[in-house]
Amino acid sequence: MSAAPALELALQRAYSGFTLDVSIKCGPGITAIFGPSGSGKTTTLNCVAGLARPTRGRIALGGRVLFSSEEGINLSPERRRIGYVFQDGALFPHLTGRENILYGYRITPPSERRFDPGDLIQLLGIGHVVDRRPGSLSGGEQRRVGIARALATSPNLLLLDEPLAGLDLRMGGVVMSHLRRVRAELGIPMLYVSHDVTSVLALADDAIVLAGGRVTAQGKPSKVALEAVAGMRSEGGVLENVLEGTVADSGGDNRPGRVTVGNAEFVTAPLDATPGSAVSVYVGAAEIILARERPVRMSARNILPGRILEVWSVDGSAYVTVDIGTHVISEVTAAAVGELGLAAGVDVFMVFKSTSIGVVES
Amino acid sequence: MISDWSVILLSLRVSLVATALVVPVGLVVAWVLVRKRMPGLFILDLLVSLPLAVTPVVIGYALLSVFGQRSPVGRFLEDTLGVSVAFTWLGAVLASAILAFPLAVRAYMVAISGVDTRLESAARSLGARPLRVFATITLPLAYRGILAGTLLAFVRALSEFGATIMIAGNIPGQTQTIPLAIFSRISAGRDGAALQLVVVAVVLAALSILVHNYLVGRVRTGESAGEARGPR
Repeated sequence: MSAAPALELALQRAYSGFTLDVSIKCGPGITAIFGPSGSGKTTTLNCVAGLARPTRGRIALGGRVLFSSEEGINLSPERRRIGYVFQDGALFPHLTGRENILYGYRITPPSERRFDPGDLIQLLGIGHVVDRRPGSLSGGEQRRVGIARALATSPNLLLLDEPLAGLDLRMGGVVMSHLRRVRAELGIPMLYVSHDVTSVLALADDAIVLAGGRVTAQGKPSKVALEAVAGMRSEGGVLENVLEGTVADSGGDNRPGRVTVGNAEFVTAPLDATPGSAVSVYVGAAEIILARERPVRMSARNILPGRILEVWSVDGSAYVTVDIGTHVISEVTAAAVGELGLAAGVDVFMVFKSTSIGVVES
Repeated sequence: MISDWSVILLSLRVSLVATALVVPVGLVVAWVLVRKRMPGLFILDLLVSLPLAVTPVVIGYALLSVFGQRSPVGRFLEDTLGVSVAFTWLGAVLASAILAFPLAVRAYMVAISGVDTRLESAARSLGARPLRVFATITLPLAYRGILAGTLLAFVRALSEFGATIMIAGNIPGQTQTIPLAIFSRISAGRDGAALQLVVVAVVLAALSILVHNYLVGRVRTGESAGEARGPR
């Protein structure tokens, strides 16, 4: 991967009393645009895709100018080579999943085709549903067909507008783990719009916070997303750790399940998944207790030692990232930070109940 | 004596050709009116609907002024192409097409605006140019409404009277369509002969409207009353 920014944009757009004024540089990997609804996230994506026209500015992708008010350049959407995954898939209802995926692939000149539709169908795990019409697919299947459809044109950038919105935990987890696979195997830069802090933390390499049409922060997702999370509270934003793991023991008969996550092992409720299967593990940040010393005589089954990497205080709450063999965030009160002397480099124990963990097969 | 059959066939031929003219032009105009935002479109919108509001006789008179044998346009067509519109079946076609046009365009507008623009945007982002998007996304998703509007236009063309008699006259075997023949026969006191054509006209109209209503999902069946049949 090159170090040059994949996408560079600086644009202004004024419409009905709202001014969008953003300047963003994205590297390879997944860049999250994070912010409350109405902050200009989708409009920014539409400007990049060529579906909305900025009043002023410049957009360049890998050195190729897509829009420049100064030079009078405005490439039409079909000439930008940018894949767009719409909020609810926006699949063509009169075509099957496969025909949806082949729609753009057939238009793409053979010399530009880098991905085989069959491989994409396999990568996204939709082989069993692609011969059906979108109307009979579940929400998660529709999103994955939408992702495959956009990728089939071999785009230079993938735009994702809330690809997890409206999905339940399980389906969201499945889509998320497929997006991770896409990132790992295809190496396409992605611009990922979300108002959900959990998925930003789980997926993004870089995060940008938009508020009121302006970039208010940019940087590492943990810092940036946590800084913004206070503002998201009012929208029901709850911070969850989403981790990839493998089932070590399914448990059963009064025996708990066990899941390996990084170098840590979590004790869970008995699991349906068989040992060795890949799972997504969810732990709410607020469910995790921090202790400076190993607690004794405690009912919680998970007592994991680790070292604090980062402490971030926002509005009376603090988010503490701890390395327990994998990175996990705990939400505590700002008062607890002072009383316990929580700071980067301090050794702590993370304590949580086996029933606080959600495990979803991916 | 002109037979009923030749009257009916002439009527069908005039209406079919008129409809064939209305469909492509109507689709383009409807698409522009629904999807394009530019100044002055309200004038196009007005022009499209005007034939609905003006009495057909005025339309016929306007056509006669433009295409009549003494007008410059009429003479030019006659001299260069050897085509004359006034008092020929082409005049009847033109009159029917203009009167049918607003009905088609209005139905097309409803059908096209029912297609989610995000699907069209998605197709653009997948590399499709606007014409391809229209042919592969908009048209297939709006086809019921488009078919229904086309049928409505055909029925309107079939029943056209006022403008036709002005521009095309009432020449048996050449421009005398069903409505004109009914008018002539009743004027001549041959009510019985007129009645046969009246029945044909009503049956054709009723059939077309039934199919139209099915297409737009307005037909209700006894057992599932309250639930419209057909998609959308």
